[in-house]
Amino acid sequence: MNTCETIESVETNRLEAVTVANENIVHLPLGLLGFESIKRYALLQNTNETPFRWLQVIDQPDLAFLVLPALEIFPDYEPDVPAEDVKFLGLNHPDDALVFNIVTLAAKGSATANLKGPIVINRFTLKGKQVVLANAARYSIQHPLPLSR
Amino acid sequence: MLILSRKTNESIVIDGRITVKIVRVEGDVVKLGVEAPADVPVHRQEVYEEIQRNNKEALTQGRPALPRLPEGKPKKHLKQPATGTPV
Repeated sequence: MNTCETIESVETNRLEAVTVANENIVHLPLGLLGFESIKRYALLQNTNETPFRWLQVIDQPDLAFLVLPALEIFPDYEPDVPAEDVKFLGLNHPDDALVFNIVTLAAKGSATANLKGPIVINRFTLKGKQVVLANAARYSIQHPLPLSR
Repeated sequence: MLILSRKTNESIVIDGRITVKIVRVEGDVVKLGVEAPADVPVHRQEVYEEIQRNNKEALTQGRPALPRLPEGKPKKHLKQPATGTPV
C-alpha cells in the first residue's frame, strides 16, 4: 500500500503530533453498536502503552476507544467469528483478521475487556466490524484484565 | 406495534429486502430465519443492548492513565471460522 498518496492530519491529545496515513484508518461501515454513525477511526499505538491501542474517532479527535488484542492476553480465548461476518469482512484465512477488544477503565485502576463482541478487522483492507461471536455465550462483556501491582 | 399472525414456514417481508421466516415453534421458543442484506446488522435485542451500553461506558475523552498488565503471554491465533473453508 502506498502511504504517500493520501495523508491526513488528525489532531489528538493522545500522541503529540500524529500524521495518520491512509493505511492506519480503519473503516467500520456499520459503526460500533450504539455509535452506528461513526465509521472512520485511526488505529494508534504508543509503544509505551503496549498492548493497548486507541481507536480514535477521525472527525472528533478527543473521542477514542481503548482496545487491546485479548488473544495475546488470554491464551484460552477462542473467538469464533460467524460465517456471515467472515464473508462481510472478506476474510480468506483466520490470519487475515486483527481482533481487538474494547477496554473499559473502571475506578481504582481496574479495567475490563469485552470478549463477547470484539472488533474484527481485515488486516489487508482495514474494513472492520464489531461482531457478536458465535460462541459469545462463553465470554463476558466485562472480563477483568490481569493487572500487575 | 404491528401484530401479524404467521404459521411455520410463513414469512414477513420488511422494506422489500428483509425477510423474517418462522422456521419452527417449540413450546415458548420460536426459531426465526432472517435474510437481510450485509449492511443490515441483525442482533438479539438483549445482546445488542448489552454491547451498546458497554461501548458507551468505554468511550474515553481526554487522556486517561492506563493500567499496567503483566508481560509475557504466548500469542494465540484466531480460531478457524466455523465455515472452515475460505470464502
